[in-house]
Amino acid sequence: MNIIKELFSKSPFGPLVEHTKKVHECVEMLKPLMEALVNEDYDEIRKIQDKISRLEYEADTIKHSVREHLPRRYFMPVDRVDLEGFISCQDNIADKAEDFAVILTLRKTKLHPEVMDKFFDFLDQIFQVTGTLLGAAVELNNLAEVSFSGAEAKHVLDILHGLNEEEWKADRLARSLSKDVYALEKQLDPITIIFYEKMILTLGSIANEAENAGDKLRTMILK
Amino acid sequence: MDIIILAVIALLGLYMAWNIGANDVANSMADAVGSGALSVKQAVIAAGICEFAGAVLVGSHVTETIRKGIVDPAALTSLPGMLEGEPAALLVIGMSAALLSAAIWLNFATWTGMPVSTTHSIVGAVAGFGIVAAGFGSVHWGKMGQIVASWFISPFAGGLMAFIIFKIISKLILGNAKPVKAAIKITPYIVFFLAMVVTLATIYKGLKHVIKGLDWLTDTHTLLIAVAISIISTIFSRIHVKKKLIGKESLPLHAQLEQVEQVYVPLVIISSCAVAFAHGANDVANSVGPLAAVANILKTGTVEMKVPVPMWILMLGGGGIVLGLATYGYRVMATVGTKITEITPTRGVAADIAATATVLICTRMKLPVSTTHVLVGAIMGIGLARGLSGIDSRIAKKIFKSWIITVPAAAIVCIILFLLGRAFMLDFIRELVLAARAAG
Repeated sequence: MNIIKELFSKSPFGPLVEHTKKVHECVEMLKPLMEALVNEDYDEIRKIQDKISRLEYEADTIKHSVREHLPRRYFMPVDRVDLEGFISCQDNIADKAEDFAVILTLRKTKLHPEVMDKFFDFLDQIFQVTGTLLGAAVELNNLAEVSFSGAEAKHVLDILHGLNEEEWKADRLARSLSKDVYALEKQLDPITIIFYEKMILTLGSIANEAENAGDKLRTMILK
Repeated sequence: MDIIILAVIALLGLYMAWNIGANDVANSMADAVGSGALSVKQAVIAAGICEFAGAVLVGSHVTETIRKGIVDPAALTSLPGMLEGEPAALLVIGMSAALLSAAIWLNFATWTGMPVSTTHSIVGAVAGFGIVAAGFGSVHWGKMGQIVASWFISPFAGGLMAFIIFKIISKLILGNAKPVKAAIKITPYIVFFLAMVVTLATIYKGLKHVIKGLDWLTDTHTLLIAVAISIISTIFSRIHVKKKLIGKESLPLHAQLEQVEQVYVPLVIISSCAVAFAHGANDVANSVGPLAAVANILKTGTVEMKVPVPMWILMLGGGGIVLGLATYGYRVMATVGTKITEITPTRGVAADIAATATVLICTRMKLPVSTTHVLVGAIMGIGLARGLSGIDSRIAKKIFKSWIITVPAAAIVCIILFLLGRAFMLDFIRELVLAARAAG
């Protein structure tokens, strides 16, 4: 049959938006996870960890289907290296969310009431960062429609500009939370402190990866 | 002339026309189908009407005896040791062989899905005939060089034009913060350009051949007519676009873009029809030209440089194209249309304007370009302007190779057919020619 139709390769942007959404579903599981920790409901934590694992697996499946759309011979409106970097950052976000769930299953840790509020503030700030990224990434399909230029591109770049600021706030919160944790060193056993620190680092890396993904998205648009 | 002989030759022309309809036509309407402006059924009907109209109304009513003047007929007559009527008979066999071999090559290309040029198929076939019948020197290699150049020029020119037009649309309308407002302002200019290109293409492509004695239709007058038609279309479009878009300015950005694309639906239909019309006008000659030449030689017994193309032959060509479209092109259209949904109406308009304008300019410069090549180039141009999510470069290379192979492939098939024809049919045809001379 006619070969002209084969000249058009399948758009990777539709599946890419799917991937973004799936990754965000993983991140959304962090809140119920923390709540279960507060309630010291360790069964629930294990259940949620199962769920995140499954979501992460689904995200991986979508990721593979996106990669199938990107053989070298495809000539695309965005830089392939940036696009692949973007996918791998997103992939890391889902991985880190899963890691966080796994960490919570390792030990029956109690959350100290003194740091509880700040932990939730920090978590909310992480959501701010990933939510901002989601808001920009879901526009990829629309961006492709307007050939990555003009008002739509500016709109997405504006969103991404906000992302850096949100990540910076998350960093600051992480630092202050860490300080609070170490301030409790007289009341807590060292293992718990190490454990808290591990939680903070993992959550922080989610925000970091989200910022990296945003940077890749920006260079994709500005190609 | 024997009615059976005539029927056989007519069948050859019909077979060629059928292949043009099956191979090429789907490409001219691809933008309209891909963007969803027309359903497959509507596109087949529209393409059928436009191709037939193009073929019959503006298809060339005069044709060179040897297609595109690739081979000099005088080279044949000046060969030593020719019997009376032999050059004419050889031409009859050669043109029939060229027609059949071009059709066979096209049929193969259709079967494997290659969008090759019908013009280049016939040119290759005729050159093959010339080499065998009258030697290497009888072929106008300068003309052949132009064809080789067109492999590069036509996709490049079409691509560049599409790139520029799409960049303009993308920058001024799609990329505007208020796309609806921008579309109201900019679209009439695009319509002006579109109407200009379509009108000029229609007039230059052959309207001059149809209506005889249009001496006043000089270049200046043609230009004036085109400008007048374009201004009228521009005013119409202004009213239409305003009516469609007014009050939509405050919708969210994405909804606005959808509205703008909607406004381009009628334009992509018109521009695709223009491509089909120009294609019919241009390509029908590839099937009916040799047919008319053969019929003329058998009727008069003499070889002329140019022969008239009677109406019935044009109708046959147009009918054959429609037949090919209805029996096979239909399926091609369906697969092309469902696969290239990335072509939105604005992208379709950009590709179509680019294709029509490039073919127009190249025809004026007497460069034998192929509508199909230009269209493929235009699609690539839009891809370069970041207008498409992905283009498979391997397929692009494959398409390019199929263009290059067309000329030698058609030539080789033609050489075989001509040698067979000369071995078995020469005496028979020569008698027909001599009988025609005696009668004339």
